[in-house]
Amino acid sequence: MTVFLIPVILLACMLYSAVKKVSVYDCFLDGARESLSLVKSIFPYIAVIFVCIELFRASGLSAVVSGWLSHPMRYLGIPPEISELVLLVPLSGNGTIALLEDIIAEYGPDSYIARCAATIAGASETVFYVSAVYFSKCKVKRLRYAIPVSLFASFCGMVTACALCRVM
Amino acid sequence: MWRGGKIKCNMNIAFTALTLLSLVFMTFAAPTDALPTMITGVTNAIVLILKLTAIYAVWLSVLKMMEATGLDRKLSRALRPVIKRIFKGESEKSYDYISVDLASNMLGMGGATTPAAINAMASMCREEGKATDNMLMLLVINATSIQIVPATVIALRAAAGSANAASVFLPTLIATSCATGIGMILAKVCAAADRARERRKERK
Repeated sequence: MTVFLIPVILLACMLYSAVKKVSVYDCFLDGARESLSLVKSIFPYIAVIFVCIELFRASGLSAVVSGWLSHPMRYLGIPPEISELVLLVPLSGNGTIALLEDIIAEYGPDSYIARCAATIAGASETVFYVSAVYFSKCKVKRLRYAIPVSLFASFCGMVTACALCRVM
Repeated sequence: MWRGGKIKCNMNIAFTALTLLSLVFMTFAAPTDALPTMITGVTNAIVLILKLTAIYAVWLSVLKMMEATGLDRKLSRALRPVIKRIFKGESEKSYDYISVDLASNMLGMGGATTPAAINAMASMCREEGKATDNMLMLLVINATSIQIVPATVIALRAAAGSANAASVFLPTLIATSCATGIGMILAKVCAAADRARERRKERK
């Protein structure tokens, strides 16, 4: 069912534009033009985060920190095997998917650990990436409570995810 | 941190601390890898940016069509009762962008979400460099992403030969709604606390 969702939305948009006599061609020209300028304003933010994430992972710091965190996380019902995933989720979408693939390959797709990992990866968003990119046009630097609140809320979601995987 | 105004949660501090710590680690573990790793980071960013350019070109065209036909206004009118309650006192244009952003986020159309969210943020911005409570609320909702179909994850599980790849669908939906709900409540509480503190400061 869900495979049809996006093509149907695209089709509906285009048909509706044709009916309303809006030039679809001009819309695509504008879209492509705007995409370039949008990407130009996002690029610095993405570059900075990626340097940071790459260093964080390659230096082995992420493995060390997740080692420290695995013990307290166990009390909250998060298996220690996925503590690095929990750490990586707010930082990097691609990193999360790569790590999820490793976990699924190692423990088998239907194991409790892999199901937990899949639910966590599916239920969360890269908080730091979103915070940096969304404000790229209005250049906000001070985000006050936004990041702690987002991180805490997604962490609550992850704890819920692990608890749900136990019963569902 | 937002309490006391002493420790300001600031992108600069978060990134400097993380990068600095990683670099210290790197210097001891693999000093020759430090520079190549940073360059790999930027290379990855460029690869992603190229992909994003393509994705945004398509989705921005669709958004343009929605704007030109007034479809975004219709969507926004349908979502208005909910959105108006969460984001008080914004302009019509902002409500349009917010509704496109939230609708595409829920449907898992990541490519449409980001441009709509950036436009929404820009249109809500009153003073350069300052984030209003509504902007932070939108950020929190997006950062805890309500997603109805975790398509990538299900595809990965299916590829690995899962007996029932889509079985994570319900736990994911509950977990993400839980995260978004908690995030929204906390954002409201923090905004109220911030306002109360400012009022106290004014009285002094």
